[in-house]
Amino acid sequence: MTVRNERKKGKDKGKLQSKVKEKILEALELPKEAAINASKLSMIDGGNLIIENYKGIVEYESDRIRVNTSKGIIKITGRDLILREITSENILINGEIDSLEFFR
Amino acid sequence: MLLIRLWNFIKGYVIIIVEGYFLEKFINICIHRQIFLWHIKRIKSKEMTLKVSVKGFKLLRPVCRKTRCRVRIIRKKGLPFILSRYKKRKAFVAGAVIFIFILYGLTSFIWAVEIEGNERIAADVLREKLAMLGAKPGVFKYTVDTDKIVDSLMMDINELAWIGVSLRGTKIKVKVVERKPAPELIARDVPCDVVAEKDGVIKMVIAKEGKTLVKEGETVSKGQVLIGGRVDSKVEGVEPRYVHAMGEVIARTWYEESKIVENFIIERVRTGKVKNRYSLILFNKRISLFFNNSSYENYDKIDIIKSFGIGEDAVLPFGIHIEKFYEVRLDRRELDEEEARQLAANYAYDAALRKIAPETKIIGTNVSWKEEEGKLYAVVVVECEEDIGIQRELGGM
Repeated sequence: MTVRNERKKGKDKGKLQSKVKEKILEALELPKEAAINASKLSMIDGGNLIIENYKGIVEYESDRIRVNTSKGIIKITGRDLILREITSENILINGEIDSLEFFR
Repeated sequence: MLLIRLWNFIKGYVIIIVEGYFLEKFINICIHRQIFLWHIKRIKSKEMTLKVSVKGFKLLRPVCRKTRCRVRIIRKKGLPFILSRYKKRKAFVAGAVIFIFILYGLTSFIWAVEIEGNERIAADVLREKLAMLGAKPGVFKYTVDTDKIVDSLMMDINELAWIGVSLRGTKIKVKVVERKPAPELIARDVPCDVVAEKDGVIKMVIAKEGKTLVKEGETVSKGQVLIGGRVDSKVEGVEPRYVHAMGEVIARTWYEESKIVENFIIERVRTGKVKNRYSLILFNKRISLFFNNSSYENYDKIDIIKSFGIGEDAVLPFGIHIEKFYEVRLDRRELDEEEARQLAANYAYDAALRKIAPETKIIGTNVSWKEEEGKLYAVVVVECEEDIGIQRELGGM
């Protein structure tokens, strides 16, 4: 929450602080996605994709999904893409996934 | 995953089509409002199908208004919908309930009595006694007092060493252990002899008490005193002492059996013709079903009883009794001499074995042939080794 508050005040300061935080977490070998607002993607064989910690869905077509996260937009292309399960934290995408692209 | 599916099935869910231009927005708002969606599938550019719980579906209306989407239900799935369908079919539900009650009612009666472990006590006698004590087919299960039955049976039947009565489903299971008849014992302080139980040739005498009167290799006949209970004093004029004679007397004994050698045998051959007689069993009554009465002259009969029931223990009072009649042809088959002799010898051997006590040691078998009145006999002699001594009170027979 502190990160977000800082961001509202000034973007540069916030960015610096989050970078410091990231460094500390790296040094302590803690899972990053838990502490800072990072997303975690787990994928099984190009057919199952779980995105943890996302912000919202920007676009959903059967061959293209764009998901908004705190670091930018993830674009997933493929065929017969289904949102298998969707909660406020996770999305489980099923289908034949061809590519993942990150737009920062 | 399976658990979630099961949970969804129990709670009930609907498959809906959402139509509109802002489908992403629709999903986002739903998630924001804690409406759980799954299996979202895009089918057309402005249509998608998804699954949502019944509870969630009711919350969709304001979301639709906000995103200007239209929602249609295509299928309703889950337990609540199935149940609501049966709500209208009252007779069906009533039937199901009555069925369960009848089943429960029928399983609270005894429908079978199973007796096992009895060899000398006839099952019918046991059945009769059990019936007198209230354990018979058709009685209410909860009135049967197994402890009381066990007590009274133990009192009534002398041959019982142990009896176990248990209620299993609609069955009464009776397990019987029979008492071995105790040998007649002569009290330790009563003087006695050891006499021969049967004829034999003495192999070994081990006298624990008393005077050995027979030697090894001596032939003894039945009733002969082997170990004497009267011990004469070596000193003259002193009264003989009377003791309780004991000991083992191992002797060779012979069992003989003969059988006429026949040069033919009669074999029962099934012709392949079968007739079935079906009867219905209802509450211990038999109702014969269709059967043409022309029976065969010679037949083997096999009874098959099929009881309806749930599992092994919950037997219900319905069943089918099938009697299978196999027609049998009696064939006379001529035997060659070798075969005929073998058959007669086997028969005689089996007959001799029946006379021998089960724990007796068999040391040899001899087969000989003799002719009498023009007929050939197979004579089998089985040689055994056994303890032939039994105790007998002095002076008595």
